[in-house]
Amino acid sequence: MDQPTSSLTRRDLLKLGGTALAVGATAAVSTPGPARAQTPKRGGTFRLRSHVAPVHFDPHQTIAFSTMIPLSFAYSRLVKVKGGSSVVPGSQPVENDLAESWERQGDTVYVFKLKKGVRWHNKPPVNGRELTAEDVKYTYERFLTIKGNPNKTVLGMVDKVEAVDKYTVKFTLSEPNAWFIDRLASTTTWIVARESVEQHGDLRKPESVIGTGPWMLQRYEPNVRISFTRHPNYFVPGLPHADGVEIILSSDPAAGFAAFLAGEYDFGPEYGMVVRRSDLDVAQSRIKGLGTRDYIVLFGGITAMKIDQEPFKDVRVRRAFAMTDNWHEVLETNAWSMGKGAPNPLIPTTLKDWTIPIGQLPPEGRALYEFDPKAARKLLADAGYPNGLKVPIETTPGYGPDWMDAVQVALRNWKLAGIEGDLKLKEYGAFVSSAIFGKFEKMMLTLRGVTTDPDNYFVPFMPGEPLNSSGVNDPKLTEMIKLQRRTFDEKKRKDIVWDIQRYASQQVYYGFGASVSAVGAWMPYVKNFGPNIGHDYGGRLMVAWLDK
Amino acid sequence: MKRYVFRRLLVAIPSLLIASLIVFSLPRLLPGDVVQLMLEEKAYGKDLEDLRAKLGLNRPMYIQYVEWLGQVVRGDLGESLWTRRPVLEELTRRLPISLELGVLALAFAIVIAVPIGVLAAIRQDTLADYAMRSLAILGLSVPGFWIATLCVLLPAIWWGWSPPIQFTAFTVNPWAHFAQFLLPAFILGIASAAAIMRLTRGTLLEVLRQDYVRTAWAKGLRERVVVVKHSLKNAMIPVITVLGIQVAQILGGTVIFESIFGLPGMGRFLFDAINQRDYPVIQGVNLLIVSVVVLMNLIVDAFYAFLDPRIRY
Repeated sequence: MDQPTSSLTRRDLLKLGGTALAVGATAAVSTPGPARAQTPKRGGTFRLRSHVAPVHFDPHQTIAFSTMIPLSFAYSRLVKVKGGSSVVPGSQPVENDLAESWERQGDTVYVFKLKKGVRWHNKPPVNGRELTAEDVKYTYERFLTIKGNPNKTVLGMVDKVEAVDKYTVKFTLSEPNAWFIDRLASTTTWIVARESVEQHGDLRKPESVIGTGPWMLQRYEPNVRISFTRHPNYFVPGLPHADGVEIILSSDPAAGFAAFLAGEYDFGPEYGMVVRRSDLDVAQSRIKGLGTRDYIVLFGGITAMKIDQEPFKDVRVRRAFAMTDNWHEVLETNAWSMGKGAPNPLIPTTLKDWTIPIGQLPPEGRALYEFDPKAARKLLADAGYPNGLKVPIETTPGYGPDWMDAVQVALRNWKLAGIEGDLKLKEYGAFVSSAIFGKFEKMMLTLRGVTTDPDNYFVPFMPGEPLNSSGVNDPKLTEMIKLQRRTFDEKKRKDIVWDIQRYASQQVYYGFGASVSAVGAWMPYVKNFGPNIGHDYGGRLMVAWLDK
Repeated sequence: MKRYVFRRLLVAIPSLLIASLIVFSLPRLLPGDVVQLMLEEKAYGKDLEDLRAKLGLNRPMYIQYVEWLGQVVRGDLGESLWTRRPVLEELTRRLPISLELGVLALAFAIVIAVPIGVLAAIRQDTLADYAMRSLAILGLSVPGFWIATLCVLLPAIWWGWSPPIQFTAFTVNPWAHFAQFLLPAFILGIASAAAIMRLTRGTLLEVLRQDYVRTAWAKGLRERVVVVKHSLKNAMIPVITVLGIQVAQILGGTVIFESIFGLPGMGRFLFDAINQRDYPVIQGVNLLIVSVVVLMNLIVDAFYAFLDPRIRY
């Protein structure tokens, strides 16, 4: 039970420059982290770069990472993902945040005891009063009822939230869901203050950012910087170590890297606090003792097919496509990975507690990852296409040049199996409002909107879900997905999740691209920092310190 | 003169009206839907309709246009669909930054181009002339963003130095504020300088061959007097026209330069707005750019009379 949810949408990925995007996620292949026992130092300001300004500051009105990252410094939630250099990237250990403790009563009731004496930031109109169960209730009711909350599905299973007493909150779910606690650790579920919403109408404005988190939003200069200062009454004694955080909003990647080399940032300048692998040599020669750690990112390509139509009705055709998708070559052409990365089964490789190793797939599943155009040709011939076939393929160049490189690699390799791809490029905005909802002719290449919650990866396989772009309607698979949601025993759930991945690899309702291995980087004087997937920068930096 | 300016202002009204229609309708013709973008791929059906209604995007386009135009006339450019901030407020904050960059770039362009153009003309077909013309062609052909990227990246790799990455407001530190514009303005001005230099050289050469200039030489006037006092002023008329056009070009160039050098100006604002299909922002910024260009052309026209006393309006 250690997979919280946070999400990157296709649009987020676009904003990431379309770079790492081309290939995907990360299984933590890591060089050693600096996990030495040291005495924390207090003071200083963390400086980091974001290449995108927040769309606004209301966590219930967007899923944008550019909003969630800044909010991670100012807000808290009931439970959170642990930070620190000992945390292995890709793992998502959940620990209490505002919750003192919690217990599950039966299959559908969760009771949380809140920590006492938690203070809101001392800003009007909240003015540093104590957080109570009513605040938690208010937050989740707003979360579930406000119009246009794209995160609503994260807690879609919640039926009722009650404030039992000042420090006790009770959640009643409409059906059992073993992922509930992980969902609460999502970076979309920040506890917000009613007074702030009432004063400002919503939480879009920077002055409405009033939380209980380790730092307080001090100043927001659009397209310039976001500054945070220490919350003097933060409820965890001794934390945070740093007095402040400064997020510099700088959109140009070259300028970002130059500033990192010049010591203007304390962390790798790209999303996830990473440097491109192609820049690593320069960075290491310029910055002596640079801290680095490889980890596999979440995002990766996905291929959807109209499985109720020819030629994709036939599973042999779907397999032929997957078998000629040369993931090694895709990784080699990518500046972020330069050949390093990992292939993905249904659950991305980086979610190592839930992903199935490729070697554990059935033979038909394993074959998908062994580039074999000859075998693919044979499969096509057996399916009635001895002379190959021509297929219209839709995608968007909006994900950036690295993505298009990956698409070109795929097209060229499909050709080796006799598959002629007729590439149709759509503008990004048009693409996200049509193709990803299944409005395409035969086949579509896109990026998976990624989350750190494994259960979310099953959504495109559920009948009736708008994101079920391939049109999957497989009762056996549907039942397996529902079953794992009802299974609280983690080992048993994991077995089911692996079975789902085995079964899905035989059916090939979707093809999954590989994920790159990125390089988390930080200055030598930054201590107890460990990069990880997800947007919880605040959680990671809260326990880190500057030793200058 | 006053009458001429008034007449030009009257002519500018239909131009601005047509421009307003274009800037209003073009963003809406772009494929993609702002509501879909705002809700990402996680909201469907009724949520989409609700948000469209909330933003007023469910009404016929002509009604939206007339309403927007009415707001514009009252000095209200609407609010951003994403941040709910007034567009005018955002523009007020960002326009001075873009203008500062643009004006400095133009100043660099003039300071570099005019003396070199004059020198190239009076030393026609010498080594210096060829060298300066070659430099001008280089300046025209090498993209500014490429030079800018190199100027940012190479010093960082070689010496660990990079230009300022954090925007400093004038009120915080006037010198740091001014200094952060120098490099981007210089690079932005290079392409314009190249064009202006070539034009200055060409027109000056033409003027230098005129009878009245020959007379000036015959009178035994010094070279500086003949060139600067008698020739340059006349040669500058087409240059001034081109300067007017360069304003639009430089304003366009600010988009990428603001992005590279971290300047929170209008260009970056427009770029983000286009990606987000933030219609009120796109409309507001474009309308402002059109207005600036119209105004600049008016100023340029008015300036002719100053340069050439024969021109009367």
